Amino acid sequence: MPRIPTRLILQAYKHDTILPLLLRECRTLESAKNEMRWLHEHALRISDSITTKRVPTKALVRCSRALLRTMCMARSRGMPLQYILGDQPFGDLDIKCKRGVLIPRHETETITYHAANLIVHEMANGLFRNDNERTPLRILDLCTGTGCIPLLLHALLAPHIKNLSITGIDISSAAIRLAEENHWRNMHLGLLSERALKEVSFRQGNVLDYARDVSLLTNTLHHMPAGRTSDFEPGCDVIISNPPYISPGDYRSGTTSRSVRMFEPKLALVPSESYSGLMLHVDDVPIEDLFYNHIAAIVAISRARLTVLECGNRLQAMRVVSLYKKVLQGRGEISRVVVDVWSVTGIDTHPCAVLIHLS
Amino acid sequence: MFSAPWVCSRCLARSARLVRNQRPIVQRRGLQTDSDLSPALLTRARSMAAEHAALSDQLATSFDPKIAKRMGVLGQVAKALAEWNDANKSISELKSILDDPEAEADLRPLAVEELESTQASLTSISSNLKRALVPRHPFADLPCMIEIRPGAGGDEAGLFAFELLRMYIAFSARRGYKSSVIKRELGAGTDDRLSEAVLEIEVDGAYDVLRTESGVHRVQRVPATESKGRTHTSAVSVMVLPSFPENGVSGDGALNFDDPNSDYYIDPQDVRSEKMRASGAGGQHVNKTESAIRLTHIPTGIVVSMQDSRSQHANRKKAWQILRAKLAEARQEAREQEVVELRRGVLGGVARMGRGDKIRTYNYGQSRCTDHRSGITVHNLDDVLEGGDSLESVMDSVRSWLTDREILEMVSVSEATEKSQ
Repeated sequence: MPRIPTRLILQAYKHDTILPLLLRECRTLESAKNEMRWLHEHALRISDSITTKRVPTKALVRCSRALLRTMCMARSRGMPLQYILGDQPFGDLDIKCKRGVLIPRHETETITYHAANLIVHEMANGLFRNDNERTPLRILDLCTGTGCIPLLLHALLAPHIKNLSITGIDISSAAIRLAEENHWRNMHLGLLSERALKEVSFRQGNVLDYARDVSLLTNTLHHMPAGRTSDFEPGCDVIISNPPYISPGDYRSGTTSRSVRMFEPKLALVPSESYSGLMLHVDDVPIEDLFYNHIAAIVAISRARLTVLECGNRLQAMRVVSLYKKVLQGRGEISRVVVDVWSVTGIDTHPCAVLIHLS
Repeated sequence: MFSAPWVCSRCLARSARLVRNQRPIVQRRGLQTDSDLSPALLTRARSMAAEHAALSDQLATSFDPKIAKRMGVLGQVAKALAEWNDANKSISELKSILDDPEAEADLRPLAVEELESTQASLTSISSNLKRALVPRHPFADLPCMIEIRPGAGGDEAGLFAFELLRMYIAFSARRGYKSSVIKRELGAGTDDRLSEAVLEIEVDGAYDVLRTESGVHRVQRVPATESKGRTHTSAVSVMVLPSFPENGVSGDGALNFDDPNSDYYIDPQDVRSEKMRASGAGGQHVNKTESAIRLTHIPTGIVVSMQDSRSQHANRKKAWQILRAKLAEARQEAREQEVVELRRGVLGGVARMGRGDKIRTYNYGQSRCTDHRSGITVHNLDDVLEGGDSLESVMDSVRSWLTDREILEMVSVSEATEKSQ
């Protein structure tokens, strides 16, 4: 990482004496100033709420200033802004963020919007079954984290689709708890419709186990104890996922930023075989594509009409495309597979979405 | 003064005269419109009234919201024309009584009196008719956004821009309008100097109330930053933009910006969106908090950047809203420019108040606020800056000035079109 020029530090110091602290994480004056503003607003809110009205304004200012300094110190050590402020806007929703759960990224937000547009479009074109009045459109979000994708999808789709059933699955119990909390929080804030109470649910489960044993997925979906077999079919219409996709090499080499390595859970970033009960012919599949490999099996079993997967960069997306073509085209019951890549920013090193249409 | 050993007698006399002549000077410049209507206007009013009658027949059999809306516009004209016709008729009747030598003698003074009062009311009736004939501004029913930018004058302009922002917030609060600051950028290292702000007033029809405010506001005062006590003059530019509702104006085709046939449609292909993010890895690898969005409309070169919210999505939405408003305003202005050109062909040089013109002066030393369009001067600057009644009276005078001007414009344009025919 290039050194911050002294001139920049001086400029920041002139603006505010504690601004150089933020420069360590932000690198540019413009974004440091923005973060300073958000932190300042947050500090004012806190100091307003904890002190009674009788406190003189001077003391209030001192209190908020001390708070601001503490927060800037934490930020300079690499603590993500979202963990300090406690939340991150995602679409129109307000998603709470906590240590131990991955923070929603801007790219995921854009991909979720794109996915919602696609679903509405395909719904109109009759890709999904048409008896939507009785049976819901089933959407599965694998590796849901804060629950941002299911919640935003519900907010976006509810006006267009009468009957929805969206399930978010994550291996981490902390993530499931936080997702439930976000569910309630956004309902309470009025950002989600009343329907979301029934139509969105979160379940704890290990995505890497489902490919081996489909009944496990069915059990997770219908909330049944393990070991019991069910008559439900494990089908769903849409699968969307933002799985861990960083390779162990990229995690160590400096491609992954310090703040992410130090504060965000490795479980949500780097796929690891140790969580998998079984390895699916991983000889030619690199470890960072582990989840895509398993999700491919789930797509094949459930015959989801639309699958949206976030990938780290274009190279990985191309690998995933060829993987899915190979896995899905061999199956008799699937007549046509269309796989394409949708780039979020148009830059090859930035995340892409892989879209898989089955018919 | 009296402790002075000697005073020049001429100075003494002059100061006495100054005291004697101290009376409030209220300046008002207005355009006088004459009571008689030009034939071009009259034919237009008659055709509109005829259309009104035809539509009301149509509405009696079947209801159509579009027709009902048009009826509302035409109704005013028809009513004003009917009043005008009545007045003219009674005048001619009274005149015939006066001319008639056989009329009873005691009827004459009554008729003379009646004639005078009718003729007096005819002036107001005809001005009403003219006012009704002026087409309503296309954005009149929309909420609005006020964009405030400091102009010449450095720090001092930034300080005053902040005060103007506060003035408009106070004004909308006093009127009971809901307002929100959707963009606020402060100057470097300060918390009271604005570099740009956009205030949204989310009330239908706010555009019509506030459109008098577009232009350059000039301030004359000794700034807080001045050490030698000199008066500075600086300028702040204010622009009032229409704010389109999010999902377009349903039904009304002209204002529905999603409709490609609409005048205010923006082709998404023409807009370049930059996220201002450096290259390098993205997604899970990094956790960038940068959410700034910059939109560039390529054909016109209008740039809108937005970085207030932590959500890129929210920033983009607001940036689009501002871009849409700016383009609509620019297109409307171009259309008005055409009218001015047409007028210039008939009448010769015609001044037009654009957003580049100085419209108002706030003078702190004399505690006065002068509007250069209507010529009104108010000597209560504090009340103006608090968005009080004084500001309201200034805006009212400008509004009536605007109406007068629009009437003149309309008359000359309709005459011009008649001549060309």
